[in-house]
Amino acid sequence: MSARMPPPDEEDSRGSEPPDDDVLAGELALGVLGAHARRAAQMRREQDPAFAAQVGAWERRLAPWLAAVAPARVPDYLWERLCRELGWRPAPAAPSLWSSLVLWRSAAALAAVAAIALWLARPPAPPAPPTAAVPSAPEPAAKPVTTLAHGDGTPGWLASVDRTRGTVLMVPVPAPADSRGRVPELWIIPAGQAPRSLGAVSINKAHTVEVPPDARAALAAPGSVLAITLEPASGIPHAAPSGPVIAKGAITT
Amino acid sequence: MSKTSAEQSGESPEALLSQVALGNRAAFEALYRATADRLFGICLRVLRDRAEAEEVLQEVFTAVWRKAAQYDPRQGSVMSWLGITTRNRAIDRLRTRPARASLGALEAAAEVADAGTSPAEEAEASSERERLSRCLEELEPRRRSLIRDAFFGGLTYEELATRVQAPLGSVKSWVRRGLLQLRACLEP
Repeated sequence: MSARMPPPDEEDSRGSEPPDDDVLAGELALGVLGAHARRAAQMRREQDPAFAAQVGAWERRLAPWLAAVAPARVPDYLWERLCRELGWRPAPAAPSLWSSLVLWRSAAALAAVAAIALWLARPPAPPAPPTAAVPSAPEPAAKPVTTLAHGDGTPGWLASVDRTRGTVLMVPVPAPADSRGRVPELWIIPAGQAPRSLGAVSINKAHTVEVPPDARAALAAPGSVLAITLEPASGIPHAAPSGPVIAKGAITT
Repeated sequence: MSKTSAEQSGESPEALLSQVALGNRAAFEALYRATADRLFGICLRVLRDRAEAEEVLQEVFTAVWRKAAQYDPRQGSVMSWLGITTRNRAIDRLRTRPARASLGALEAAAEVADAGTSPAEEAEASSERERLSRCLEELEPRRRSLIRDAFFGGLTYEELATRVQAPLGSVKSWVRRGLLQLRACLEP
């Protein structure tokens, strides 16, 4: 073993020969290639599926080490920056909704229980045909708050409907997650029609749900109801609810 | 008892990512809350610079939002896929730095040791890591430390050669032999 100078790889000729593909793949995954060689290997990865598979295999071999890297607290402003980067409006502050919590407590929600139960007892119906109704004149600022209450009347979510934008801001009252791993799925149920999924909702963060254009008419229609059921995480949005209703409320008009 | 945020919210990164692929922003935020700290740790470890680490993390999540549908379960778990993606981008960023600037990385690598066990670790990841560590232990010490420094410090062959004051060709040969040995040990 010697470290004599040129040829530097005297002790092992493999040091200077072009490595075989799998070694090059390992070098790319390990990250030891200099800028130029790395770019070349990355281009090859994009164009050569066999090589790409070799790189992937090396990445997976080394990945367990990544779990050993100590986590570091992400600064809060990063989430807002990310939202801006993605072109999202940052979520509005929740306090005004929270303060109306008491005001909107269960009364409206309980009124809707019968309607929901009726719908969920039915066999799954095909999704309602799209209706072309689009609000012709956007309403001014009115953004009614609907409480989605649990069966015992305690609020589970607060929903603030923005009919002009066709969105619903969902503010959860934090609750434990479902022990069976199901996730809450939000449904809009226009009076006399089948439930239509608006996607999954969070149990601990306020976030905005976009209502598909052909379902927006229901946001302003009398008797429309918002309901949340527990559903398998895969396949959301589902065509019809299959799990238990955990909260519901009539949209306030 | 420590739990990851994902465990607390009851949704696995797999379940969340499949919803992100459908454009679900709530799932995206939940995935961010559950994984960002760990991925930020990886950015910081490679880059040793908070501003750059923040930029890379933002790049990673922007890509996750736009390309969630490209995730293939055959590539391993979502957490490991996110970690790999993050490390790759951090190293790409490192390679755009002027050569001299990476000298700091040489010193950083010196203090790189095996990090303590992350409390958030899943049992499966931990058994895989034990296997990797065991195979690494079988390597000759010099090969072992080169591979570890390269992985955690993001060092190139040139930087490794400078650091251990050995000819470039020898360093390449040690690392390559180490990689082959590692592969043989992990996949007998």
